[in-house]
Amino acid sequence: MSQVYFEDVEPGYEVGPVVKNPTREQLDAFTTVWGSQTGRFTSDEAAQKEGFSGVILPGNMSMALLAQVLTEWAGPDGKLKRLECDFRRYVQPGDTLNCVGLVTDTETEDGENRVVMDVYIENQRGERALQGTALALLPNRP
Amino acid sequence: MAEQNLTDTIDFDRSVLGVDYDVGTYEVTKEKIIAYAKALGESNPLYLDEEAAKAGPYGVIIAPPLFYNMITIQAGPDPKVNFGTSGFDGGQHVEFFEPIKAGDTIHAKTQIADVYAKTGRTGTMVFTVRRTTFSNQDGEKNIVMDRINVRRDLSQ
Repeated sequence: MSQVYFEDVEPGYEVGPVVKNPTREQLDAFTTVWGSQTGRFTSDEAAQKEGFSGVILPGNMSMALLAQVLTEWAGPDGKLKRLECDFRRYVQPGDTLNCVGLVTDTETEDGENRVVMDVYIENQRGERALQGTALALLPNRP
Repeated sequence: MAEQNLTDTIDFDRSVLGVDYDVGTYEVTKEKIIAYAKALGESNPLYLDEEAAKAGPYGVIIAPPLFYNMITIQAGPDPKVNFGTSGFDGGQHVEFFEPIKAGDTIHAKTQIADVYAKTGRTGTMVFTVRRTTFSNQDGEKNIVMDRINVRRDLSQ
């Protein structure tokens, strides 16, 4: 894995977009690990009764995909310290999700190199399914 | 100030505000972490490969950041918010500390951190902030997570 450094980043720097395409198989594996019995995540029929065209992803699964993008970007010596997401629209298997982080501020305080970002997941219709902010900590370039 | 006055009019049980409740203990297995990481399409060997994890910074498989969602906890305190006709999961605000690791025994406690009302374009909504802290067997904090439930009135 490559490492991004604090010196590489300034306001306007963009993480991604990294595309995620969650599949039905992934969703089923996820709800199995979770032990979720919630119909709208596990059964098309139950989801349709709630007005969806089929099963939807739990908000925490989409958020986990966004966390994955940010964690991989931060690299082995970086750290995702904080992630705040509002769930705005539902996500379904087969959706194309553009995961993005947009750096808004950088500062060094208490010995930490802090990178503040606006983060979001945009679907194939250009709608933001998740939106929020993140704080990542990055190492200095050696 | 207007928002504060609006919140004052909301009917809920204020006695639970800020009071921690134990909501459970959970044993983290490497099998569970690996299955979770695979479901998300993770590629980081620290989540997936015991040998690689052994040589890594923690010496053992660690969980991806949002694994805490897989931890089954009790419902915790009920602020009995008496408002609206339906609720939805508005999101999560989370801070990460020590990673959750295979073999950990995780303790969870939950408090109602805040209940507040806001009026926007679609009418008044009431937000309940449920703060859960996950800590390991050594007393190290792993995660502090605020889960935001939103209630609104769809009958009007």
